Amino acid sequence: MNRRLFFVAAAAFAAMLGVSAGVQAAEPMKVSASFSILGDMVKQIGGDRVEVFTFVGPNGDAHVYEPTPADAKELSESKILFINGLGLEGWMTRLEKSSGFKGTVVTATKGITPRKMVEEEKTITDPHAWQDLGNGKIYVANIRDALIAADSDGKATYEANAQKFLHGIAQMEMTVKQAVAKLPPERRKIITTHDAFGYFGAAYGIEFIAPEGVSTESEASAKDVAKIITQIKKEKIPAVFLENVTDSRLLEQISRETGAKIGGTLFSDALSPPDGPAGTYLDMFRNNIETMSAALSS
Amino acid sequence: MIHAITDPFVEFAFMRRALVGCFALSLGAPPVGVFLVLRRLSLMGDAMSHAILPGAAIGFLVAGLSVPAMSLGGFIAGIAVVVLAGIVTRSTMLREDASLAAFYLVSLALGVLIVSVKGSSIDLLHVLFGTVLALDDAALILIAGVATLTMLTLAIIYRPLVLECFDPSFLSSVSRLSTPTHFLFLVLVVLNLVGGFQALGTLMVVGIMLLPAITARFWAQDISNMIVVAVAAAFAASLIGLLVSYYANLPSGPAIILTAGVGYLASMLIGVQGGLLWKLMPRRHLEA
Amino acid sequence: MSEAKSPAISFNNLTLGYDRHPAVHHISGEVVRGDLLALVGPNGAGKSTLLKGIIGQLKPLSGSLSLDGLKSSDIAYLPQQIDIDRSFPITVFDAVAMGLWHDIGAWHGFDRARSLAVQEALDTLGLQDLGDRSVGALSGGQFQRVLFARLLLQDAAIILLDEPFRAVDTKTVEDLLRLIGLWHAEGRTVIAALHDLDQVRAHFHKTLLLAREVVAWGPTKQVLTAKNLAKSRQLTEAWDEQAQVCERGEAASERISA
Repeated sequence: MNRRLFFVAAAAFAAMLGVSAGVQAAEPMKVSASFSILGDMVKQIGGDRVEVFTFVGPNGDAHVYEPTPADAKELSESKILFINGLGLEGWMTRLEKSSGFKGTVVTATKGITPRKMVEEEKTITDPHAWQDLGNGKIYVANIRDALIAADSDGKATYEANAQKFLHGIAQMEMTVKQAVAKLPPERRKIITTHDAFGYFGAAYGIEFIAPEGVSTESEASAKDVAKIITQIKKEKIPAVFLENVTDSRLLEQISRETGAKIGGTLFSDALSPPDGPAGTYLDMFRNNIETMSAALSS
Repeated sequence: MIHAITDPFVEFAFMRRALVGCFALSLGAPPVGVFLVLRRLSLMGDAMSHAILPGAAIGFLVAGLSVPAMSLGGFIAGIAVVVLAGIVTRSTMLREDASLAAFYLVSLALGVLIVSVKGSSIDLLHVLFGTVLALDDAALILIAGVATLTMLTLAIIYRPLVLECFDPSFLSSVSRLSTPTHFLFLVLVVLNLVGGFQALGTLMVVGIMLLPAITARFWAQDISNMIVVAVAAAFAASLIGLLVSYYANLPSGPAIILTAGVGYLASMLIGVQGGLLWKLMPRRHLEA
Repeated sequence: MSEAKSPAISFNNLTLGYDRHPAVHHISGEVVRGDLLALVGPNGAGKSTLLKGIIGQLKPLSGSLSLDGLKSSDIAYLPQQIDIDRSFPITVFDAVAMGLWHDIGAWHGFDRARSLAVQEALDTLGLQDLGDRSVGALSGGQFQRVLFARLLLQDAAIILLDEPFRAVDTKTVEDLLRLIGLWHAEGRTVIAALHDLDQVRAHFHKTLLLAREVVAWGPTKQVLTAKNLAKSRQLTEAWDEQAQVCERGEAASERISA
């Protein structure tokens, strides 16, 4: 009689544990990401266990974003905030303060060797580290570790997702390197409006030249524009690329004057909407390298 | 030396276009600015730049970065503010500056609301309002068209406009043209602002409208001479400003406006009409 | 037997004012063609208001005003100068030339004959050498001459003057009074709102003493009596926020016909 009671109690207890575990699994963890590229990465690794809120959405400009009260509310409900760092999100500190955020801030670029760049005689840190797939791997590691730390139950899921993602990144790296190798060395030059491809250029051997500085706020001088036109003409750079966050009219002007083709849209700081050509991090790379190859090889 | 001045324009198409655009703007905007200054409406230009925002924003939402759509939207918004402010001025005890301020602030708030509801975080102001170095054909045609229309309209309403500034009581006692003249003038202001913003950015247009006009006060006594001096000052500021932007590697819009500003300061000192230096030097008085 | 002259302006129980508060009440009477009429009364008597009503800048609150057979271009009006921008860069010649508006309108050009007419007007007012001077550089008296020269060119049948001699030097006042006399001799109707009763007694044969309503109207000597002047000071009240709707009909005041 005592033994039976004991087993019934144990079974009930086990059932309760199972139910409570199931209940926990049904609630995804709320996290925030500062912009769409980060948001996609977090979603890829977190899967169904996370609900990701992204502040700067597709085609948005993360350099000059203006947070809204709704943003503050979402942030206050998040357990983790993923930011890029390296100076990209100048608007984030104010938002953190005003929302009373009590969760963990994770800087996805921790451990990366940042590039420096010169902008109007000032040396600043180039924040676009994600444009180098090698850095992308570090982003993934940081995100995975942060998710595990906040939700140890999901460790297996996170590690599996991250592994899959890393595999995809490694394959894309090969694709990109092969595509570049196919281009004749003297044609590996691109003009684009936004100085966002420094890491890409350094990693894969394409030279990017831009008429404006790193952020979208500075205005061009006649001398800068003249320099670029001269360079395009002298070195016969074949293509100018539109970039999805800044004014295209200046680029069109340069294209008109130099005869360089407008080669399509490159995605640098933001993903396209999900139905567009660059809805995820890896799709972004696929779109960019295909667009570049097409313009530079013809 | 001459080569230093002409080389950049000979070599680069974008410099030529910029110069043409600035010259066209310098023909239309400074005369309007002269009248604005004389009527003590100098700050109106800045106010109107905010008033046109919701219209331009709606144009952008409907048709994207289209010069005609945004210009039309901006123009309608500007005219609406001008008309409403005028009606309020004429039928209540509010003066023109107060009623205009009220409407442009409402308009601006509406514009910001529309932009933020749409959710795009692209700096809309930056996108809507361009730069002199990137003038495409549509923009040049727009500026040239506005300049032509401005000159024609000013020629037609010149006399009633002058009288409206000098002695509005007299004008309304001898003619019914008072209100239409006033309205047409404000339409010209909005036109120049809208056309210019599209192509050249807010700073440039309001700057080119007002600074040469203010400068002209120190050189001319007669209103028609003032207009001529203002246009010439605007031409000079455009040319020199573009060269400064080219040689000293400074942003073009601010370079042009700062040059105009330097012109203003210099005129304040040495201008023939009331320049400070002349006031400090005692001169013998005239016969009568 | 006096020749019955046709009225130039008739007031019929006219009330004029702002925002339902009457500035002048129940004015009835006639200004005869060719009259040289002084409009006098204490401050706040409604003189400017009445002139604005004649030129049509104020619509009657009740009653009516008719300009027998005259068009608005037949009336010239010189208001008190508050509205004019003295610092505006316009030359004396151009300012005076505006008087030819009824002739050239907004667009017609200036031919030789018209330029001569302007120069003549300048000469008449003693401004012959000041044609190219900017109006901002003129003294008060000189500027008043400019306005009168413009009036001269308007060549109107009725001339309304609101305090034309305020802040003007004596010599200029004399010259302008002489010009007014000339207009009267030419058969024009002149109505002038004035403060200086000696001027009125010396130069104006008819006076309308106004104190928000007609106190007296007729030959100057009969109007400007001590009794009438005292009465006019009494009647000029302050703006009353609690005023009742006015029930009065005809004005119960003295009227002496011409």
